[in-house]
Amino acid sequence: MTTQITVKVNGVEHFLDVEDDALLLDVLREKVGTTSVREGCGVGACGACTVLSGGMSVSSCLALAVRYDGAELTTAEGLDETDDVVSSFVDCDAAQCGYCIPGFVLMSRELLAENARPSECQITEHLEGNICRCGTYPEIRKAVAAAAERRSPR
Amino acid sequence: MAQLHRPGSLDEAVELLSGLDNAMVYGGGTAIQILIKQGILFADHFVDLATVPGLREVTADDRGVTVGPMVSIRRMETAAPPLAADAYRHVANPRVRNTASVGGNLAHGDYRLDPPTALLVLDAVVLATSAGGTREIPVREFFTDFQETALEPGELVSGVRIPNQDASAGYHFEKNSSLGENDWPCASAAVLLDDRTVHIGLGAVAPVPVYVTADIAGLDDQGAVDAAIAAVEPVLDPIPDVRGGAEYKRRLARVTVEDAVRRAWKDRDHG
Repeated sequence: MTTQITVKVNGVEHFLDVEDDALLLDVLREKVGTTSVREGCGVGACGACTVLSGGMSVSSCLALAVRYDGAELTTAEGLDETDDVVSSFVDCDAAQCGYCIPGFVLMSRELLAENARPSECQITEHLEGNICRCGTYPEIRKAVAAAAERRSPR
Repeated sequence: MAQLHRPGSLDEAVELLSGLDNAMVYGGGTAIQILIKQGILFADHFVDLATVPGLREVTADDRGVTVGPMVSIRRMETAAPPLAADAYRHVANPRVRNTASVGGNLAHGDYRLDPPTALLVLDAVVLATSAGGTREIPVREFFTDFQETALEPGELVSGVRIPNQDASAGYHFEKNSSLGENDWPCASAAVLLDDRTVHIGLGAVAPVPVYVTADIAGLDDQGAVDAAIAAVEPVLDPIPDVRGGAEYKRRLARVTVEDAVRRAWKDRDHG
């Protein structure tokens, strides 16, 4: 069955016809065009498909699109270098190939919204479900700490 | 995929569940989507609980906390008694915990899940609702066989009641995995101990999560560890797989129980 849903993606409303079994990942990539949302593992373990729904992180590869009718979604397309997290990732050279980085950035934004000054351990724990095959974890952790500092300087 | 039904009330949900052929409840959906992708989930209808109001409530009273089935695993990190909160905190990763549900986690019935170990120790009660009404199933009677629960066809998990934890008791949840940090565990143990008894909930080391106790009155910490390991020995029945053979998992189970008991012992004595 097809259902019409309305989702706000990065502040822009989209009216979409989606199949009941359509995954949010595929709808965002194919119908909305936000291709920073990527498939990695397909089972919620790698974080490449992360989006924020009302500020809360979601694995879009495991999410039925029909459930997000009325949701306000954020993807990396909604952020630019004026964003503290994005600029910190750039300044700390956190991206190598960059495939995983949109997911890391969104998870980091969720963390900093919940906890303005996370410890290194809290940063690691919150990002435990995100995988970077280039292995830039030290730079990513540094970038999150730098973003926290930029948002609320000591 | 199966046909998706989106009921507007619990009554409608249980009616759909009993009336449709080969129907399954769709809770958080994280496990269901993984099983669909693995090609090992066969349902003709999904009854979606996301559209049913009132299933995301957490109600606390002086005896404990009652939790709706659609409450997220992540919320349990702060809403549940400490031992259960620790077990819920170890499920998957924060993003999956945002979506995965308390009810679905129980109904999944997998022997490797973290929360059941703590719920067994705390003597939680599962509320099961069908078109015929609601009944209470002690969680200690809920896991009946490999991937099987005491839920009857037409029943769904409509809540779980977790009694308060004895504040003077020590507790610890320990989990060991052999492949990756976020992989299914090879052995997990939730432990609660007071002066007389150690309560142990075991995950991943038998076809179902298992609950055992041991008398530790008058024993020192090493005595309590020995008593706990002796108590779990008869129930260890690990399934050999890519994560390790039966003997390896047996050994890891003993190590996990020892670590959990020692940590719980320290927690009791030093807070």
